[in-house]
Amino acid sequence: MAAPDYCAAARASRTGRRSARRRAWPAGLVAAAALALLSVAAPAAAASNKVRITQLSDVAFGTIANLGQDAVQSQSLCLYSDSATNGYHVTASGTGPGGAFELSSGAGVLAYEVQWSSSAAQSSGVQLWPNVPLSGQVSAATQQTCNNGPASSASLILILRAAALSGATAGSYNGTLTLLVGPE
Amino acid sequence: MIGAWILRLSAACVAAMLADGAALAATQGSLGSSSTGSIAIGASVPNRVQISGLTDVSFANHDPATPALDAQDLCVWSNTATRGYNVTATGSGSGNAFTLASGAQTVPYSVEWAGSSGQSSGTGLTSGSALTGLTSSATNATCSTGPGSTASLIVKIATPDLQSMQAATNYTGTLTLLVAPE
Repeated sequence: MAAPDYCAAARASRTGRRSARRRAWPAGLVAAAALALLSVAAPAAAASNKVRITQLSDVAFGTIANLGQDAVQSQSLCLYSDSATNGYHVTASGTGPGGAFELSSGAGVLAYEVQWSSSAAQSSGVQLWPNVPLSGQVSAATQQTCNNGPASSASLILILRAAALSGATAGSYNGTLTLLVGPE
Repeated sequence: MIGAWILRLSAACVAAMLADGAALAATQGSLGSSSTGSIAIGASVPNRVQISGLTDVSFANHDPATPALDAQDLCVWSNTATRGYNVTATGSGSGNAFTLASGAQTVPYSVEWAGSSGQSSGTGLTSGSALTGLTSSATNATCSTGPGSTASLIVKIATPDLQSMQAATNYTGTLTLLVAPE
């Protein structure tokens, strides 16, 4: 004689209760719940503005022959923002203490300056300070990696000032610059 | 075997890139509520020196009974790890001798160097021979900040040489100083 399927009975019992609960929801209540969900979802959509920074390139100043003159390296990059205004802010930090813009060579330190422009192909811009957002920037990018529309939308400028160069001990200096962007 | 060779090559390339002031690849940001990218930065500062603050020397109407001496402070800057440098002096006489001339008449002078300022004597220089092992305290290429001067140049004419000079005659010459990093 086969054993009774107690699990099947229990499953049937649970299914029956769920069916009964579904049947108990009136149509008006379901619509109200849907409206409530939509009203909760609306702010989430507003907060989902997105940004992207691409086309960044390493910067190699190479051997700087003239220490009495500023050394400048600039690059165009793609900054995309899908906010209503295409606005964004940018925050830079270096690898010196507290995010300072410093290159190092052993114990030696070489400070550099960072500038930002919200248009491409610029050789000067607004000076950035470590960990301080530069707000009010607007991007012309129409695609997140600038694959179409403008090929780039911002400029990053790095400067080694003559005063820093002539005060630095001879050697090879290295560091990293990190850029964080957010929508506005 | 090939894999090991490639690995060695890659490691060598990375080491060379870092030494050259270049660096590893930049990172690109992704699409999101914020986006972060980073770049590596490299720069190489070569050994450099600079001499400045030099002034002309004039012994006008000097009494030949007493030695002539002119000491001047100047700035020598070196950016090497030890701030070291050497100095080589050459005159405008025959074979770069330290001599002044008035037509065919010549008179010798001597040159001394001190690795600190405010000195009236130092180490005697030989024309064309480097005086090595010097150290600069300059923190700026032209001493515009930090110490105002870092070395002394002393020029002397001995009394016998002064007494060999013809009166009311101008003797002139040029002293050239070459500094190099150490």
